[in-house]
Order: sequence, then structure tokens, then C-alpha cells
Amino acid sequence: MNLHSIGISHHTAALEVRERMWLSDDEIKATLPRLKEQQHLAECVLVSTCNRTELYGVAGGDAVDEAALKRFLIDAKGANSSVSADHFVAAHAGGAIAHLFRVAAGVESMVIGDVQILGQIKEGFNLAKESGTMGPVMNRLMQSTLHVGKRVRTETSICEGAVSVSYAAVELASKIYADLAKKSVLLIGAGETGELTLRHLVGRGIGQVKVANRTRERAEALVAAMGGTVIDYEEIVDALRSVDIVVTSVTSPSYIVQPEEVQKVMRQRSNNPLFIIDIGLPRNVNPAAGRIENVFLYDIDALSTIVDRNLDRRRGEIPKVTRIIREELISFFRWQNALEVGPTIQEFRESLEAIRSQEVMRNVNRFKPEDRELLELVTRRIVNKILHGPTTVLKQGTESHGYSAEVLNRVKALRELFGISRNGEGGHEKGGHED
Amino acid sequence: MNLQPVVLFLLILVPVMYAGLTTVYGLSFFGDYPRLARIKTPALLVTVTLHCVYLIVRTFAFDHPPITSVFEIMTVLAASIAIGYTYIELRTRASATGFFILFLAFAFQTASSVFIRPRFDIPEYLHSIVLGFHVSAALLGYTAISLSAAYGFLYLMLYHEIKSSRFGLIYNRLPNLEMLETMSHKAEVFGFVALGVAIVIGVIWLPRVFHDFSYWDPKLVGTLVIWCLYALALGAKKRLGWQGRKTMIITLVAFCFVFLSMTVINLSLSGFHSFH
Repeated sequence: MNLHSIGISHHTAALEVRERMWLSDDEIKATLPRLKEQQHLAECVLVSTCNRTELYGVAGGDAVDEAALKRFLIDAKGANSSVSADHFVAAHAGGAIAHLFRVAAGVESMVIGDVQILGQIKEGFNLAKESGTMGPVMNRLMQSTLHVGKRVRTETSICEGAVSVSYAAVELASKIYADLAKKSVLLIGAGETGELTLRHLVGRGIGQVKVANRTRERAEALVAAMGGTVIDYEEIVDALRSVDIVVTSVTSPSYIVQPEEVQKVMRQRSNNPLFIIDIGLPRNVNPAAGRIENVFLYDIDALSTIVDRNLDRRRGEIPKVTRIIREELISFFRWQNALEVGPTIQEFRESLEAIRSQEVMRNVNRFKPEDRELLELVTRRIVNKILHGPTTVLKQGTESHGYSAEVLNRVKALRELFGISRNGEGGHEKGGHED
Repeated sequence: MNLQPVVLFLLILVPVMYAGLTTVYGLSFFGDYPRLARIKTPALLVTVTLHCVYLIVRTFAFDHPPITSVFEIMTVLAASIAIGYTYIELRTRASATGFFILFLAFAFQTASSVFIRPRFDIPEYLHSIVLGFHVSAALLGYTAISLSAAYGFLYLMLYHEIKSSRFGLIYNRLPNLEMLETMSHKAEVFGFVALGVAIVIGVIWLPRVFHDFSYWDPKLVGTLVIWCLYALALGAKKRLGWQGRKTMIITLVAFCFVFLSMTVINLSLSGFHSFH
């Protein structure tokens, strides 16, 4: 199989280079048929995300000019001035498939275990389907890739655990509270990380949102976008009585919440747990408040600890992912071998049968009429016995270990030794020219 | 039909099954064994079923339910804990707490299997239906209290881990604090009510059956102390608005008394309640 991949990613190119090679859905649909036609590809798929643009193609002829493919993609985007062929990496056959599997598993992602990539790959295959550039190999490759993605997500923890500070805060909240829909959050200050944390909490269905900001208009704009109510900045300590989660990210030279105030509030709220996420720099809440019972106070360092630990855990899952990829590669090669072996055996049989029938026909008059039936029988038996050995070895190769290289080498050797061409006609012709 | 060889076989098999089950739950909590995780629930169901079979066969083999001695009661208690946990696991689909709870069942069952002795001289009062209610209520109460303590213990571990920003294994595997607190609280309320029923039945029925009945019977006093402790914990929760760590500590202290009552009082201090 002549499968090739070429691609540009965050491993090989900076963002300003990658963004020049990014292809929209419409661009992909326009490029794929041209690629197929001009670069002689039998099948091709393009995957383009903010971190990578990759082409997977099956050669129509015997060889693919990878340099030409790179030039084609650069020209298609008109990016000659900023992108060079050196920004691309290429792989072929098993290497290309393994690479796609690794991408689908999230191992190659910028944030290891990225969950979005599988959907983006699926979208790439769908666009190829719409463009008419899919074929049997790509269809099977799509199934295997999606299967890898699914297995990796169910059998390993590579996608688990928050890997951003804002999401780590939400993860922590769900370790304290059972149902966020019944809880309320107060956002103090409308900074970027605070807003992102609030967005995640809203995404997880937080029950009630309150926002306080020195500039009321900014708070109102945020509430208009995400729902909730605005409270006066001066009322924040009072508001602590009724909320469950506090996200604070204001720029203030001194603490805006003191332990005595929290202590008083905790009595008023019947000691209900209070989760405070302090992402202000310098910190907004006096750390001594964290010592009060049922008060869970975390600053950016504590949240970063969660992120680092989760990233370590994800990295620790890579061996398991590699094992899954290896298994799926074997399965893919087994399918590929079957694809090669079946027709080869058939063509081998046809080739020998052609020689036999030709020779029988040529010499049939040398035999008495009553012996001709026997001649037919004996020559057929000879052919079957010759066929038996190679056929058994090839079939065993695909059924047992599925080790592709070995089986493919046997197929190749058989084809060469007996002159069986790709379209199965060589053997016949060769037979015809004997003696 | 002589069922005693079957009883003996199950007497050995059931604690072995609990040991295996606790190991499976422990390994899948502390380690990373996806295959073990898949067999957890089936193994739990098999063990609980075998335990129930053991209790039924034992009842027929000795012609009385296994409630006539502390070690007989322990095996029923182990079964109740396991059944209670099975219900929770099937209901919530959360199996992370299994190791800690099934370890209790394993401990009670092992103690029972090692020390249990067959009894044939069963006094008439042990066949009474009222006694059945009394013992069932007490067992339900103790089971619920054991579960409450187990969840309380897990709550404290997770609380400590979150508070100290350690975010280790406990943080990863256990359900959230609120859920643990709710489970512990619900089990505690159930246990408190069931134990109350057992005490009321006992106080009304026991003086009529036992001529040597005394209100100073160690087991009765022990149970009353436990009941009062739980009343205190629940009252503090209701009246003083105590939540979380403080109430969990009281729950665990109360459970220590339960354990004391089950072991020291039952084995060392004899009274009319001992039935030996």
C-alpha cells in the first residue's frame, strides 16, 4: 500500500507559519479534488486545525513525489513567502498510519490528551467523503482512527483531569459540591481568567451567578453575556453569606477579604462550605481565611499544582496509548494483508491454470481420446499441489500473527517469482510465451 | 439431610471470598487495573449471594437463625453491610468507596468464621418473633451506623486532602465531599431510628422474658450511650448548624463506642443479654 502523509504542526512550525497553512472547510473541499487529479492520488484526506495541517494520500501509481505534494499545498495557500518545505514532515505506509493514530489519540497535541482533535479528524474524513476523494483504504483508515480515539478515551485516562487553571478550579468545585446546579457563584472582578472560570462554571450548569466589579458597566456586560445579576462592589462581603463559590481576580494592593469577615460569614451561613478561588495577583483574600473550617481557599499556585499533576498523569498514560495504537496497527495491517493476499492467491491460481490449460490444449492430440480425461485430471492435480504450499503459507500469515512486513514480503516474492502483475495478467502472458 | 459439611465449607469460603473481594476493590482503588475494575461488581454480587446462602443453610442446619451469639450476629452484620453497600453501588454506580466498606464486612466475617461455635441448646425465647424484630432493628441500626462511619472516615480523608492541597489518590478516586457527607448523614439517621426501635422493643419485651433483667445490663447501657451520642450528633447538626468535619468526627467517635460494645462488652462483661 502506498500511503503517505505530509504535515505541518506545532512540533515543526511556529503559529505564524501554521496559520498560513490553515485551511477552511471550503478550501479543503476545493483542494482535495485538485490534489487527487494533479498529484495522481487515488484517495486523499486533509485535516486542518489551529495546530496542524496534514495530508493523507494513497498513491494512484507506484510512487508519490512528496516534495511536489508539499509545493502543491504551499502554492494552494499562496504561502511561499512564509512557509517552506522544511516546515513539513513526511511519513509513509505504517509510519503515516501510526502518526494519524497518535494524532487521534491526542498524544501529538499541544496539550496532551486534547479531546477536540478526534472530532476534527472525523470532520476531515467527512469533507473528503463530500469531495469524493475517499476510497477503500481511507474508509478503513477512518474506522481504525476513530476506533483508536474511542479506545484511548475509554481505556486510558489520557483525557482526564483539568489542564488549565480555570478548569482546575471547576474540577475542584465538583470535588466539594455534588450538584453545581444547586450552587451559586460570585465573581469579583471581571479579569480574563476569572471570566474564563465563570464560563466553565456556567458550562457545567452552575445554578446562580453574581458578578461584582469596580466598574459596574463591565460587570453588566458580562452578566448580559452569561446571565446572572450584578451586585455593588461594596457588598461583596455581605454576598459571601449566600453564595457557595467565590472567584476573585481584582487588582488590589491589599486583601479585599479578611479572615475575621469570613469567620463571621461562616457563622451566618450555618457553616456551609465556602469555596474561594483567589486568582488575583497580588492575592485578594488573606490566606489565613483558608484555615477556617469548611472554607476551601485556593490561589493560583494551588490550582497550578492540580494542572501539573494532571499533565503528569496524562503523560503517564502514553505507554497504554502506544499499546492500543500497536494493536490497532496490527489490525489494520491484517486487513491490508487480507486485501493483498486474497487477490494474489486468486491471480496465482488463474496464472497456473492458464499455463495448464494452454499446455493441455497444445498437446492434447498426442494422447488417445480415452486418455484425455485422465490428462485433464492429472494436470489439474499437479497444479493444485503446486498451489497448496504457497497458498497455505500466505493464508496462515494473515490469520495468525498478522505481522505485515513478513506477509507483504511473501506476497511480493510470489508475484515476482511467478510474474504475476498487479492486474493479474502477467502470469498468463508469461505462460503463453514459454517454449 | 446433613447440612453441616456445607456450613463448614461456606464458613471457610465466605471470608476467603471477602478477602478476594476486598483485594480486588483495593487494587482497583490504589492501582490501575482496568480488568479488575470490570470484575468488581460481578464478584461483589457472587460474594453477597454466597453469604446469603451461607446464612440460610446455617439457619436450617442448626434450626435457628444466626442471632444467638455475638459471632453469629457478626456474620449477619457483615452480610447487611455488604448488601447495603451493593445497593449503594448499584444505585449510584460509584464503586470507589467499596474497598473501605467491604473491608468492614471482611473484618466482621473473618472474626465470625474464626470464633463462631454451633449451638443446639436454644432457649425458647430465642425463637420469639418479637426477638426477631428486636435483633433485626438492632442489626439494621448497626449496619447503617457502620456505613455512616465508613463514609465519615472517607469524608475526613478527602477533606484533609483538599484542605492541604495534596490532590493525591484519595482526591482522584473518591466522590465529592457533599455526597460523602449526605451518604454518611442518611445512614446515620437511618441507624439512629433503627437502633431506637431496637431499644424500645428491648426495654418493653426483655423484662417480660428475663427474670434477671436489669437496666444496668452492660449491652443495654452501651447501646443507650451510643444512641445518645448519635442523638447528640444529629441534634448538633440540626440545632447548631454543624456541618462537615465536626459532625464526621462525632460520627467516628460514636462508632468507636459501637465497636467497643460489639467486642469488649459482649465478650467480657456478661449479663442477661449474652445468651451463652
